[in-house]
Amino acid sequence: MVLTDIKAGGKAKIINTEHVNVLVRRRLLDLGIMEGTEISIKRILPFGGPFAVEADGQWVGIRRSEAKLIQVCHS
Amino acid sequence: MIEIALAGNPNTGKTSLFNILTNSYEYVGNWSGVTVEKKVGMLNNKKGHLIDLPGIYSLNPLSKDEGVATRFLIEENFSMVLNIVDASQLERNLYLTIQLLEYGKPVVIGLNMVDVAKGRGIMVNEKKLSEKLQSPVLPIVARTGSGCKELAGLLTNEKQENKPLYISYGQYLDQAMESLVAKMPEAENLPPKRWLALQFFEGNEVVHSLLKTLMPVEELQRIFAETEKLVQMEEGAKSLSYHIRAVRAEYIKGVLDVSLQKGDEVAYTLTDRIDNIVTNKFLGIPIFILFMYLIFKLTFDWIGSPISDLLDGFLTGPLSDGLTSMLQAAGASAFIKAVILDGIVAGVGGVLVFVPQIMILFFLISFIEDSGYMARIAMVMDKTLESIGLNGKAFIPMIIGFGCNVPGIMAARTIEQPKERLLTIILTPLMSCSARLSVYSLFVGAFFTQNQALVVLSLYLLGIVIALTLAKIFSSTILKEEGSMFVIELPPYRIPQWRTLMRNTWEKGKGFIKKAGTFIFGGSVIIWFLSYSGPAGMGVDMNKSFLALIGGAIAPLFEPIGFGSWQAGAALITGFLAKEVVVSTMNIIYVAPDLHTLQGVMAHHFTSLSAYSFMAFLLLYVPCLATVAVIKKETGSAKWTWFSIIYALLIAYIVSLIIYQGGKLLGF
Repeated sequence: MVLTDIKAGGKAKIINTEHVNVLVRRRLLDLGIMEGTEISIKRILPFGGPFAVEADGQWVGIRRSEAKLIQVCHS
Repeated sequence: MIEIALAGNPNTGKTSLFNILTNSYEYVGNWSGVTVEKKVGMLNNKKGHLIDLPGIYSLNPLSKDEGVATRFLIEENFSMVLNIVDASQLERNLYLTIQLLEYGKPVVIGLNMVDVAKGRGIMVNEKKLSEKLQSPVLPIVARTGSGCKELAGLLTNEKQENKPLYISYGQYLDQAMESLVAKMPEAENLPPKRWLALQFFEGNEVVHSLLKTLMPVEELQRIFAETEKLVQMEEGAKSLSYHIRAVRAEYIKGVLDVSLQKGDEVAYTLTDRIDNIVTNKFLGIPIFILFMYLIFKLTFDWIGSPISDLLDGFLTGPLSDGLTSMLQAAGASAFIKAVILDGIVAGVGGVLVFVPQIMILFFLISFIEDSGYMARIAMVMDKTLESIGLNGKAFIPMIIGFGCNVPGIMAARTIEQPKERLLTIILTPLMSCSARLSVYSLFVGAFFTQNQALVVLSLYLLGIVIALTLAKIFSSTILKEEGSMFVIELPPYRIPQWRTLMRNTWEKGKGFIKKAGTFIFGGSVIIWFLSYSGPAGMGVDMNKSFLALIGGAIAPLFEPIGFGSWQAGAALITGFLAKEVVVSTMNIIYVAPDLHTLQGVMAHHFTSLSAYSFMAFLLLYVPCLATVAVIKKETGSAKWTWFSIIYALLIAYIVSLIIYQGGKLLGF
């Protein structure tokens, strides 16, 4: 299952970010989002727009194409 | 005098703290990357300097502004670090703290946003935290200034010596670091060697290039590869940087276990609710456009123009009359009278009239920056910008560019991807800055009295549309993408503080007033002199002046786009200095004592159509001198600087040609 399978308002736990672009992964790490992090989907922008996710009070916007590469499981 | 470096994650309130501790007015915003260059201020007690570094998450840099901080630690002399951490995001903030502690200089920790943390049910025990980190920790709220006095006292009394924090990264990496340290030659002013070794293994590019100057590259590569392989095999880590991060995370967990208490999670209800609306599926973009429209309405119709009119009345009435009678009483010659009244008062006054409108625009941009809405705009716009080869973050420099292109271009540093950054730098000058606003105000007042705000908005949109079109063209031809990226921090909304807003507005607006006193003052005198003198001598008919000759030489070029007069040509040449000089020039050459007379005179020289064509040309034609200088500095390339001048001229001509000739065909 990947992050984009989760609906707005839902929660999930990240299990793999290996396929994500290196720079994006580094930045997500900086913001405290990595394997094992529990995140919730706050907003999904229309027309294939970005995802706003929240982890531990930190809100982050990422692209849908990137979110598709983040593997998650139900937490 | 001690030198103290101020370091911390982006958007943790470093600049607010800097302003309080040094009593200086630096630029503050609510988005990541406000501080793109280090700034130095004198502490209030005059005992030391405080250096405000750009916000970073880690000492291992990802974008250009992050490199500034790492380079500072390596190259500069300083005696202490003031590390500001966000109490509501302690876990990730401590990640930087650990690296600063490992560096070994004394660190004082300012625990900021304790109020936000409390609101989310997080209690930090600063005594325990201080014990664990072996460094003083002080809770503060930088926005209100609470706790900052105590912090200032602590800074100058703190011990100057400290031992680096030692964390074991497992026997294999520890050993590798030891042997690398042993191989490093002695050199002066070198940062602590273990820290260098650790940063090297973490993949820090800045440290890597430093080590390359000290040791053979092949040896460094060999050591790195061997160590990575060993750590992968023995520790089961994915890579060295993963391993190092995991060890640090474990250490931080140990620190937080004893110093942090989490209550029931309270969600950001306000932020949630606002985001429900402003990033709404259907409403997001319309709301943004509505905001922009409101900004223009406020700037022109509702507040700005009435105040500008009052100021104009004062400048042309009591002030001019006063000056005239003073000059009369002093027995000034006709020449002096003409310089002062027709040159300086007309030129400088003509620009000063627009200060109220510009201040209001700056105030509203500051409001957006400080509220947290800026990051949402970037997110709402990302999809659109991605399709033309940019990312959502490119929108921030563009919006700041509405105030002034110079800080706008500098804000492009937060864009990680080099080509997206270059593209943003080149296109930001198409954003209509406040200096251009003074020219529009003049023209719309003369030709579009019924639809002032709408006409000006159309020019702003024209700039945006052209920038986006060119982005698409450039990114699919000369600047092909290498893969675009977009990750943005969304800060919680906050109500901007009146004090911060006023400061920011003044900081941005004062440059405009300063320019009026220097650049435009000098320019007005020169322009007036050129209009007063000619080949036949002094006091010539203006149509036979030097200015008319110069303007007339290029005027035929502008014939096809609607304004082939020498006056328009002369105004456009002077506009390269600063766009608002166009207004000064027009005041002087049309010998207009006040705004309304000038607008009346202009009606004889322009039609509505040619006026619009002129405004469009002025919007696009060349970035002003200051902008060209900053493009050169930021791109570090003469080629791209020339490119940005030449493409702008071409585009301006083509667009104005379409507007004027198309408009004529349509019967305007």
